[in-house]
Amino acid sequence: MQLALVGLSHKTAPVEIRERLAFNSEALKVALVSLIGKQQVTEAMILSTCNRVEVVAESPDDTLIREFLCDFHQIPAESVSKHLYSFRNADVIRHVFRVAASLDSMIIGEPQILGQVKEAYRIAADAGTVGMHLSALMDRAFVVAKKVRSETGISQSAVSISYAAVELARKIFGELNGKTVMIIGASKMGELAAKHLKRNGVSSVLVTNRTFERAVELARVFEGAAVPFEHFTDHMDRADIVISSTGAPHFIIGRTLAEQIIHRRKNKPMFFIDIAVPRDIDPSVNEIDNAFLYDIDDLQQVIDGNLKERLKEASRAEEIIDFEVQQFCRKMQSREVVPTIVAIRDSVEKVRRDEIERNRRHLKELSPEGQAAVDMITKAFANKILHTPIELLKQMASDPDGPETTDMIRKIFNIQPPE
Amino acid sequence: MHVALLRLALGLYCVGFAHSVLTALHKKQTLFKPALVAVSVGFVLHVTSIILRAMEVQYLPLTQRYEAFSFFGALVTLGFLIAYAKYRIAPLSVFVFPLIFIMTFVANLAYNPSSSIPQELRSRWLYIHTPLIFLGYAAFFIAFAAAIMYLIQENALKSKHSVRFYNWLPSLDICDDLSYRALAIGFPLITLGIITGALWAQAVWGVWARDAKVLFSFLTWLVYLLLIFYRLIAGWRGRKAAYLSIVGFIGVLVTLLGTNYFGGPHTFQ
Repeated sequence: MQLALVGLSHKTAPVEIRERLAFNSEALKVALVSLIGKQQVTEAMILSTCNRVEVVAESPDDTLIREFLCDFHQIPAESVSKHLYSFRNADVIRHVFRVAASLDSMIIGEPQILGQVKEAYRIAADAGTVGMHLSALMDRAFVVAKKVRSETGISQSAVSISYAAVELARKIFGELNGKTVMIIGASKMGELAAKHLKRNGVSSVLVTNRTFERAVELARVFEGAAVPFEHFTDHMDRADIVISSTGAPHFIIGRTLAEQIIHRRKNKPMFFIDIAVPRDIDPSVNEIDNAFLYDIDDLQQVIDGNLKERLKEASRAEEIIDFEVQQFCRKMQSREVVPTIVAIRDSVEKVRRDEIERNRRHLKELSPEGQAAVDMITKAFANKILHTPIELLKQMASDPDGPETTDMIRKIFNIQPPE
Repeated sequence: MHVALLRLALGLYCVGFAHSVLTALHKKQTLFKPALVAVSVGFVLHVTSIILRAMEVQYLPLTQRYEAFSFFGALVTLGFLIAYAKYRIAPLSVFVFPLIFIMTFVANLAYNPSSSIPQELRSRWLYIHTPLIFLGYAAFFIAFAAAIMYLIQENALKSKHSVRFYNWLPSLDICDDLSYRALAIGFPLITLGIITGALWAQAVWGVWARDAKVLFSFLTWLVYLLLIFYRLIAGWRGRKAAYLSIVGFIGVLVTLLGTNYFGGPHTFQ
């Protein structure tokens, strides 16, 4: 196994460079086939997302892949070479595991990347460019990604505004089933937050907007009810969650109003989410008992806290990856070392027999005891010479530099690598 | 035998106590499953210990301090196991397990091998009055723990600054609901307990307020009455209700522990 990986990501390249090296789904198949057509590349797969472009190949040579990337996209090598990284063998395994486990993502722990890696693998498999090595690597990568996800908290807490809103609502209400959300104003972010709340159990949606038609339109999307903006406050006591995102230049929900509404609700708690700038809801509403107000900065603060938490969890994830890389290297190398040892023994044994055969005529002159002694001496001679290289091969099964050394020993004995 | 069993139970409750400490330190529920198993096994041993003691003294084992604490500890455990089976609120354990441990620990310390029962406690009323009061107190403790959880969670939500929310705590809604339900169970028990106590005292002494404990428990009862009233009539919930629930439980503690120093039939010598 001789893995090579060349790529670039949001960490090494700006979007202008990334988009020039990206592959669309049509180009992917063409690229895979032409890669495989090259000498020294026996397996290949390409991962191309908006944050990264990576080529993983079974090949002893990574400069070849670098050249291929530039040639394929017709970009001069100088302009991208400083953005490209390349890895070999154990480092490839580690990188692939980290990417699949979302440790290398822009937002650590985001779940989409695993799906993207799976898709890239499927495309390569369909194109017939994945063999034993890459499929073993990717199968393990998916298992490792799952393990990291379930054993650490890297994808646990919310890191987007709309998920933070859902998470906070859960801390107040527990289950969101049977709860009502009111959307005031029609902004993209407000809509998104309402969508997430709905998906997480909120059962009815009220929409109000200055232009009533827009409210009706949105209400249809959420299968909710539109409320005229002039008297939305009359309906607000039905809402457990209020998302406000109007373009109003001043507060549209003041403290007195909020107090009245909480009173009308017999003190049942209310969660106000103010994502408008300038703000729609008087910040002192948060001081009212059973009212909880979060503005856009508060939500951002929650997200920042969660991100910090994810980073902490990421170091635990790295430990899992370390362990898995070692395990995988050991497994793959012992898979290659055993056939190599057998092949070396066979080839030396063949040399010995050929030589004895060739000298059969002279050997006949010896007594049977003498012939047996020659046989024994040559065998012992071969074994003693082979002892060191074979011991070394066995050690290499658990060494990160194993593949290079194994390859070197194969070359010395002129043995083909196992398929 | 019953003492050995109680010590064994105490050892098992230790696991529960460790779970609480670790959870508070890690800010996330740790060791809950083993602790739950240990406490459940401990509870079985504990109940066996109480039954053995009852057989030994041929009476309801509630006349000594050892017996009283042991009994109360077992009731709190029972209360928790019921609440957990019904609502699956694991975090409640963080508050309940230490109390169970402490009660059982005190019981072990207070053990007195004499099994003589004071003359004035030899009455059928003991079988009614004392368990009612203890059950009521156990319910009030659950209400208290739920109120504390409510306040911690509410404070985190209101202040917004806490980087890490208390993810192991249940939602505000569940805390408030649990606190209310425990109050709704505890209050009638205590009310009946006080009435039976008054009747007992009436029968023995002809008057019904002889010691500090009676006075304090009556004051505590008034606090809880107020809380019920506010919840039902004024629609109180959440923070204010939680505060009053805590005040009430402080009253319970004063009644249960403090008044031992004033003498009278409630001292559990």
